Amino acid sequence: MKQKNISIIVIIGLFVVGFIMPAVLKQYYLNMLTEIIIIALFAVSYNLLLGYAGLLSFGHAAFFGLGAFTTAVSIIHIPGLSLWSAVLISVLMTVVAGFVLGSLLLRHKGSYFALLTLAFNALFYAVATKWHSVTGGDDGLSITRPNMDLGFTTLSLSSLTSFYYLTLVIVGLAIVFCWYFTHTAMGRTVLLMRENEERMKFLGYNTNISRLILFTFTGAIAGLAGSFYTLHFQFVSIAAISVDMTTAIVLVVFVGGTKTFWGPILGAFVYTILQNYLSNITDRWPLFIGLIFILMVLFIPTGLSGVIMNIKQRFWRGKENGGNNKAAAEEVTP
Amino acid sequence: MCGSMNEIPVFFLHGLAYAGLLFLVSAGLTLVFGMMNVLNFAHAAMYMLGAYFSYSILLRFTGQIWLSLLVCPVILFVIGALIERFLLRRVHKFGHVQELLLTFGLAYVITELVKWSWGNYPLAVNIGGFLGSTVQIIGITYPVYRIFIFACAIFVGVVMALILYKTRLGIILRASVNDNEMANALGVNVPLVFMGVFAFGAALSGFAGVIAGPLLSTFPGMAQEILIDAFVVIVVGGFGSLGGAIIASFLIGELQSFGVLFFPKLSIALVYLLMAVVLIIKPSGLFGEES
Repeated sequence: MKQKNISIIVIIGLFVVGFIMPAVLKQYYLNMLTEIIIIALFAVSYNLLLGYAGLLSFGHAAFFGLGAFTTAVSIIHIPGLSLWSAVLISVLMTVVAGFVLGSLLLRHKGSYFALLTLAFNALFYAVATKWHSVTGGDDGLSITRPNMDLGFTTLSLSSLTSFYYLTLVIVGLAIVFCWYFTHTAMGRTVLLMRENEERMKFLGYNTNISRLILFTFTGAIAGLAGSFYTLHFQFVSIAAISVDMTTAIVLVVFVGGTKTFWGPILGAFVYTILQNYLSNITDRWPLFIGLIFILMVLFIPTGLSGVIMNIKQRFWRGKENGGNNKAAAEEVTP
Repeated sequence: MCGSMNEIPVFFLHGLAYAGLLFLVSAGLTLVFGMMNVLNFAHAAMYMLGAYFSYSILLRFTGQIWLSLLVCPVILFVIGALIERFLLRRVHKFGHVQELLLTFGLAYVITELVKWSWGNYPLAVNIGGFLGSTVQIIGITYPVYRIFIFACAIFVGVVMALILYKTRLGIILRASVNDNEMANALGVNVPLVFMGVFAFGAALSGFAGVIAGPLLSTFPGMAQEILIDAFVVIVVGGFGSLGGAIIASFLIGELQSFGVLFFPKLSIALVYLLMAVVLIIKPSGLFGEES
């Protein structure tokens, strides 16, 4: 219980820091921070699949892209659509897609599942590329951010700062909700299923349905992230639904580490900053992506959060005896 | 929308040629997966490497595709052996996720190195000679090269089947897969077998790359283009099944070809549709074993 209280204090602290950021950061960095928060949500949803359920999907960008395109398409084609409705439609769309794809693909495990999700990601990409009349094909779609209707008043979101606050609150709360999810009975079930599925079945859990619910849930969260991605850039291109986007999120999560809840958030920071920096100085960015993958797999398979946990564990051990358990308690273990 | 009747044999032959190429690519992929349980994302990148090496060889020795067909698989064999020995073997103990990510990273690095060395634009490969000419079959003038591709695929398929089911080496291979601890105890050098299998898969991908060069032109996107199709072949045919790969390559090659003829707008979706139907009816693939 104490662990949970510390986490809640950290979360509140992060929100407070987030709220004063527009006063501190220049526009360029605030722009980047908005992107980081959105990517962090996408990464957290992916880690619920990979880190918590042990499902290696290579198709998570299909949901991200579906959310992104649904937002753009519905804003363009439905005049006067409110921001909330656009986001809601996108999430519902990904819920349906997640449920259908999940029921089709979750019968398979391991590498087979990875391959199938990749193939379906490629299908989504192919459809987005060819269905020019709806998705704009290679040109992508441009939108104008609708104003936010709060019931009693309407806020303009045309400035970056106001959109940043919206992102911080909604996307930030979504991340907190994912964290909360891992502490619910459902979240625990998923974790235990990864450890010993036979036993869970024996205890009377329907593991197939739990997995389907998790897959649909993570798809919907990715769709929400995609929706905000479109709103942030006021533009969506087929890159958002491509296999490269999937690769990017796998890398984010892997760099951050799959063993902790907050690892992928750290990964989103490192990745976005690194990408912005490296793509400014070199056009061989994919080469670095590949090298980071290989070096991480060979030398730091637990990711940055694994390294930090290791250091922390050593530090705690020096201070008190029970420290070992404390550090371990934050890890993704039942 | 509808093609005329005399186009059908031509498109059937086109489909056969593409099916041959698909089989050459997916045979190596399914072999490595079946034997080592490693899904090699870098397979298509190595195929592309084969195509580019072949381009450089053909630039110097015009018309000598035979030379490429001999040299490129050897180069790729060595590269494959090195990758297995120094990278894949190290991460094997961490599990599948790490192996997949490693090959994924490799695919990126190889693609970038190719762009670096040969440029980021399509290169036309001219074969010339007899292979570059056309012949008359069943009243149609048809390029020899496409028939040659199909013949190569049959040749490779037969050789692989003979090795796997008729030789001592094949027995060792199958034994290492079924129970590698027991095979190890009986004196089989299992790590060496795995290195050989991975290297052979790489050599096959190189062979396929050489063949693909003149047909599809050589460009940095060629890897991703064929990778998805090869994955679909494996899913439809059933994992690790050579027979399944043959049938699935044929189905998908023809589907692609006739798809372009009859439903030009839907042609890419047809392949995925086939995959979805197979997944619903028989999730383990046409020739896959139930897990």
